[in-house]
Amino acid sequence: MSIFEIIGAVFLLIGSIFLFLGGLGIFRMPDVYNRLQAGTKATTLGGMSLILGVGFLMVETNWAWMVKAIIIVIFIAFSNPISSHALARAMYKRKRYPIITSKDENMDAYREVNENEKKEEDA
Amino acid sequence: MRKFLVILILAVLGFYLFEAFSGLGLGFPRFEHGVKDYYLDKTVSELHVANTVTSIVVSFRGFDTLGEVTVLFLAVSALGSVLYKRRHDVGSRSILFASSGIVRSGSKLLFPAIILLGVYIFIHGHLTPGGGFQGGAIIATGFLLMLLAYENFRVSHHVLSYVESLAGIIFVVIGLLGFIDGGTFLQNFLPSGILNELFSGGVIGIIYVMVGFKVAAELTGLIYSVLHEKD
Repeated sequence: MSIFEIIGAVFLLIGSIFLFLGGLGIFRMPDVYNRLQAGTKATTLGGMSLILGVGFLMVETNWAWMVKAIIIVIFIAFSNPISSHALARAMYKRKRYPIITSKDENMDAYREVNENEKKEEDA
Repeated sequence: MRKFLVILILAVLGFYLFEAFSGLGLGFPRFEHGVKDYYLDKTVSELHVANTVTSIVVSFRGFDTLGEVTVLFLAVSALGSVLYKRRHDVGSRSILFASSGIVRSGSKLLFPAIILLGVYIFIHGHLTPGGGFQGGAIIATGFLLMLLAYENFRVSHHVLSYVESLAGIIFVVIGLLGFIDGGTFLQNFLPSGILNELFSGGVIGIIYVMVGFKVAAELTGLIYSVLHEKD
């Protein structure tokens, strides 16, 4: 077992742990925003680690796998956060506000702006 | 009484399902004298194509694929004719609010990568899983991303229809060239090349590239006309 295979196995383990935590977070969290946060953060790191791990496992037989893996990692690093940002923003604009248990009224300061924006558009 | 009836119906259904599936002999070859052996043998030995599914879709049943592409074209033209009247008031895209700056700059970065992925998938259709239809659909999602991110992003219907018609014409012309060389429609007339290399499989690669262009143009036009529908 070469050093690259060990590194690849460690990456695979990290990736699967993070993907498991992401699934657990989606299952356990109360509202859309928390679920998006759990899902996106965990699947970004988990998916990147898994694909890098595959690249390291194959780097001795065919180095082209590593290049492809790095390209896919860059793609995930862009696409995953952007898509979850768009989802969260769309939810907020449609007035599905996050659950806030705190008594502090200024906790969600953007809510007022959001309500007024909609009124201006209607008027 | 109702529960009894339900159980009775389920029992009858289950009996017939069991009867139907019990005679199948799962796991054993059922068609001893079918065409499967012919396909599996000829794919590698004669056509030099690594992907058996591609060789069946594009070469052995290429005429069927031409029909499928035509069906897609028909569906897109039907949708376009239904939505035609509403397309006069251009500039009104059915989007509720403008997308944020992150989505805008991000989709500018991701758009070329998505197009490249689609092109890769339909160019390597005869080597790896995937092909013209899948690659074309991926390219159309790239255009969908740009249409959602930028309100003033326009796709020229003229260019789309030219690309689509040209791809369809090249498909049919390649099929007809088979008449001149071999004697049947879609006969392979190019050198087959070496198995597992990019330039192998004769006309299969060219046909899949054309299918990819055609599907991409059709789906992009479809998305564009649906997005511009005004209630």
